[in-house]
Order: sequence, then C-alpha cells, then structure tokens
Amino acid sequence: MKLLSNYIKEMKIAARGFYFYIEIGMAVLILAILLFAVSETSTSSRKQFVYSDMPGEITEYLRDRSIKKGEARLADPIEFELKPATFEITSQETGETTAYSFDDEKTIELETLQMLDSSTGELEETLYYAETEEDMIRLAYSEGEIGATAAMDPYGKVSYTYYLQGYETDRLKSLLYASHSESPGAVEAKQDRQVVRTLGVSETLNNRENLVPLFIAYMGSLMGFFIVMAYIFYDKDEGVIRAFAVTPASIWKYLITKIFVILTTVVVSSSIITIPVMGGQPNYFLFYPFLMVTTFAIASLGLLVASFFDNISKSFGVMYVIMIILMIPAFSYYIPSFDPLWIRVFPTYPMLQGFKEILLNGDASYVLTYTFAFLAGGLVLFALADNRFKKTLTV
Amino acid sequence: MISVKNLSHSYSEDEKLAVKNISFEVENGETFGFLGPSGAGKSTTQGVLTGLLKLQAGEVFVASYDIRKVQKERFNKIGVSFEQSNVYGKLTARENLEYYAKLFDVPTRDPMELIHLVGLDGKENVRVGEFSKGMKHRLTFARSMINYPELWFLDEPTTGLDPAIAATIKDIIREQTTKGTTSFLTTHNMYIADELCDRVAFIIDGEIKLIDSPKNLKLQYGHKLVDIEYIDGGKVVKETLKTADELGRKHIAEIIKNHEIQTMHTKEATLEEIFIQVTGRELVYDETA
Repeated sequence: MKLLSNYIKEMKIAARGFYFYIEIGMAVLILAILLFAVSETSTSSRKQFVYSDMPGEITEYLRDRSIKKGEARLADPIEFELKPATFEITSQETGETTAYSFDDEKTIELETLQMLDSSTGELEETLYYAETEEDMIRLAYSEGEIGATAAMDPYGKVSYTYYLQGYETDRLKSLLYASHSESPGAVEAKQDRQVVRTLGVSETLNNRENLVPLFIAYMGSLMGFFIVMAYIFYDKDEGVIRAFAVTPASIWKYLITKIFVILTTVVVSSSIITIPVMGGQPNYFLFYPFLMVTTFAIASLGLLVASFFDNISKSFGVMYVIMIILMIPAFSYYIPSFDPLWIRVFPTYPMLQGFKEILLNGDASYVLTYTFAFLAGGLVLFALADNRFKKTLTV
Repeated sequence: MISVKNLSHSYSEDEKLAVKNISFEVENGETFGFLGPSGAGKSTTQGVLTGLLKLQAGEVFVASYDIRKVQKERFNKIGVSFEQSNVYGKLTARENLEYYAKLFDVPTRDPMELIHLVGLDGKENVRVGEFSKGMKHRLTFARSMINYPELWFLDEPTTGLDPAIAATIKDIIREQTTKGTTSFLTTHNMYIADELCDRVAFIIDGEIKLIDSPKNLKLQYGHKLVDIEYIDGGKVVKETLKTADELGRKHIAEIIKNHEIQTMHTKEATLEEIFIQVTGRELVYDETA
C-alpha cells in the first residue's frame, strides 16, 4: 500500500515535471529519424588498399572478369596524400617485426575498383590499387584500413597477404583465411551445390534495426542513470527525503519507487521505438525483462552515486565520467573489428549485445545469463544505495 | 516520553562536539522548550531524537523506543514539524497530506480538516510550488499532525509567519497540549517558549545550562521592574527601577512625591533577559540557518 502510494505520488510528480516528457519526446523523435531518415540498407562500404604482385596482364584479366560478371565496376581514380610515418608490422605467422619509416610527403593517384553485391548491385567494397607495396602499406597505416598484397605462386594460385590494424577480431581473421583457403573456382563450385534454405528468423539486423539496440540500451542506462539522480537531487533540494525519514515507511520503498518511475518511462519510450521498427520479430518475453533489469541496475548505480552528493552540481564530475564509461561499448558495437577484451567489462557491452540477440531472436541463453547477472548486480547496488541513504540523512 | 542520558554528537565524529554530554527528560503531556541561539545544538539534539542523525554516544528513549535500535514503527506516534518547509512543490496541498497520511499504519486525520486548521482553505487544490514561504510552513506544520502524534517535535513553528497566523499556530499547539500531546519545542524565540512551555532548557555551545519552568526561572533570576516617565525641569525623564531593591523602592517614592508622573508600568523580567543573565549570550537568530 505504501509502495503503491509512493509510486502514484512519484508518477504524479514525474507527469508534472519535464524529464518524463523529454524522454517520451526523445523516443518519438528517434522513431521518426529511424523510420524516415535511416534507410534499411547501409550506405557505408568497406575500403581496402591492394598491391598486385602479379604480371599486369593477369591483374587486368581478373579485374575484367569481375567487371563482366557484374561483380565490380571501375571508378574514377582517387588521390591520396602520403605523409611521413614510422611504424612496425608484426607477422602473425612468424612473429617477426619489421620497422617502417618514411620521411617523404607525396600525393598519389590510385586506380579504383568498386566491388558490388551481385544480387542487388549495391556497393560493398572499394579497392584502391597501389603501384608499390610500400605505398599500399603506408596507406593502410595512415587510413586505418585493411591492406592486401595479391601474388601468384609458382603453381598459378593467387595468394594474399593482409595488413591489419591489430585490433581486429579473431572472427574477422578467420573469415579472411576462409575466403582464400580454396581457389575461387572451388568455392564457387561448392556454393553451386549448396541448398539454401531461408529460415524463419533473420540472421542479421538491417541498417535501421541495427540502431535500435543502441537507442534502447542508452535510453535505459544513460537516461535512467541521469534522471534518477535528478529526481533524488530535486527531493534533496525540497527536503522531502527528511520528511519521509520521519514516517514509518522504509527508505527502500522511497528509493524503489523512483526506479519504478524510471522503469515505466523506459518501457514506454523503448516500446515506442522498438515495436514500430521491429514489429513481431523480437522475443518480447526476453526483451522486457532484460530491459527492466538493465535499467534497474543502472538506475541503482545512479541512486548510489546520488547518495554521496548534496546537489546535482557537486555530482557532475562523477556523473560525467560514469556516463562516458557507459558509452564506450558503443564503439565496439559500431566497429565490430574493435572488440578488445577490456571493453566487455563495461555493463553496456552485454546490454548492447543482449538487445541485439533479442532483436535477432538469437542466443536466448546469453540474454538469460545477463538478465540474472544484471538483476543480481542491481540488487547489490540497490542495497548499497539503501544503506547509504539511511546513513546520510542529515538535519 | 523522552529520556536522554549523556548524549553527545559530533558531525566530524571526533572531539569537536556539537552536543556535549547532555541529559534531560520530558514527561508525558509536557511542552518542553529547547532554547538557544543558532549553532547551540538544538537542531542536532532534535535530529538525534527524531532519528535523522545517528546516535553516537549516550542513551535516548523516545516514545518508549530505544532509538539505537531501528524501529520505524515508532514514527506512528511521532510528528515532526521542520523549520524549513519540506513539502512536494509539484503536488497540491491536499495531495501532499493525502500522500503522507498513507505512509502511517495508524488512523490519520482528514487532510481537509488540517488545511482548514492552518488557514489554507481554498488553497487545497493549488500546487505547493505556487505557495508563499509562510503557506508552505503552515502546510509543513499541518502535516506533522496527520497521524495524531503522541509526541510532537516542533522546530521554530512560528518563524516567518505574520502575527495573526503565528497566534493561530500557538493556539493549535495549546489545544494539542490540552489533549495530552507531548511537545518538544525547539526555538530561539523566548516569547513563544514563555507562552507555551511547561519547562525550558537553555542550551548553548552544545551544553544545557539549566532546565526549569519559566515561572521558576523568573522567580529565581527575574526582578520586578517599574518603567517610569516623569517631568523634571521641564524635560521628560525615563527610568527603569527594580522594586525588589530598597534603593529602587525609595527612588520610586521620591519621584512620585516630587515630580509629575507621565507614565508608570510594572513588568517582569523576560525569559530572554534571564537567558542572557544565565548564559552571558544573546539569542541572535541567523535567518539562513
């Protein structure tokens, strides 16, 4: 009864304040952007710098064959500036390190070949052909892209040496190995024999859908973290926490109702975004519990942080640092090749991956594992916050 | 109703004590005044008694509960009127009282009755954020009565109120006292203490200097005085003379015999004058405190 009374009171206050409407308004705005400004297919494509260590006729033959098959088209040559640079390259096979140092500055023009999706005709990857292997390596280094040397062995088989940035995932490396493990002809022959079945679930999210986990995770975590702190500081400013403390109701009931308000707002705003974009594809029985436990955990962190400060201005430094930390996994989400182990420690990493799995209707065990992990973490943080608030009520 | 033995409190949890080894008792039905200037330790003591501050040293029983033990149900018997009003600005006066009423496990008063009692009729559906400081203070005061408290903590209950409203608040406190409510009144205002309290404690620098009834204090420390204005050589002369003093009495008789009297009033020493006499300090009130 006290919990319900607290919740009704908090919802009235939230409905009469502006935070609530900001979040709902944000959700509507994000939905509008997703539906009307973001296309379902990605317009971005990969880049690769290539040096062909083969006779010119063979390079030309391979290129023309791709163009004739509709897999590629020639584009206007592109100019690149090369600047002085010093770096090392370590061979993954031998472990040997080679040092490179370039002092000169020059502008070079590279032949450009655009690789196309054979079914849709859309641009997939752009290959820039360097005249020398050194130029290719310098460009891969300065542009932060993959470089490759294509050579022909004495048996007439094309082999590739890739120059990576060092942070690429093992998955990407394995993919590169696999794509060249057999001759293109053999791969094609195998592909022709394969029976393709369309499953009832999609395996990847399209460009628009791919943005949904990002918005949901950060609406729940960043906004929940910030807004719960704002609510607490508002109450501290009005002194109502002290008034509550001299009633028979427990402090935890006061704190949990703040989180209930955040949960209500997050569920509404996330539904506004998710349902119109994803339709019936996600597993909503996993989605809502995961959304609620992640929001609960991060909002509990907000409560704990708020218990250390008297007002919002004093908390800005810590609040800012935590929000930045929570945002870091977004880089990994958007740049799959950037996936170091340390980034997985941040709570928003499994949040993003979890939402992605849910929207894909994918790995339920991953989602359930983290649902319980966030619930447990949230309970610990909430208990700590409750303990802090009991101690820090001052006259 | 309240028993305090050797209570000490330090905000920095060291030797710098805000309250130093104080002891006192408040009987059932008594109105007990805790008087002192800003920074004397009044609010700290009340903070410990109401559970807002942790008991660090000493023994404190409030409404028969040992406050060292966490027993939230004791607040069913307690009402607290804060000096700084602390009500929800986004809720109306009525919503504020209705919300607080639901936090108690005992029968509560009708919010509208309380709104009427403190003179906020017609404002029940107005958001408190639109209230004046005085109106918020009255609502905070009204809220403290929501659970029919047996023990009532009143922190500067008339501060910032106009005289008419202050008189209403004092009448309410008197009425509650007649109904058997025990009140712990924290104030720097000696006049309200004099009017309402059965006993008062003078606290200064965290120490209680004395505890007694205002009447006994006046008998012990006060002297009856006469304010007299008379004409002497064409000029109006004003003097205050002690009637308990032989010299004073003779001087009064001499003035009456030889001069034309303009005005003459007898008066008692005020509690404030006694406080200054006992503690050597004035009751300077810091509005920002």
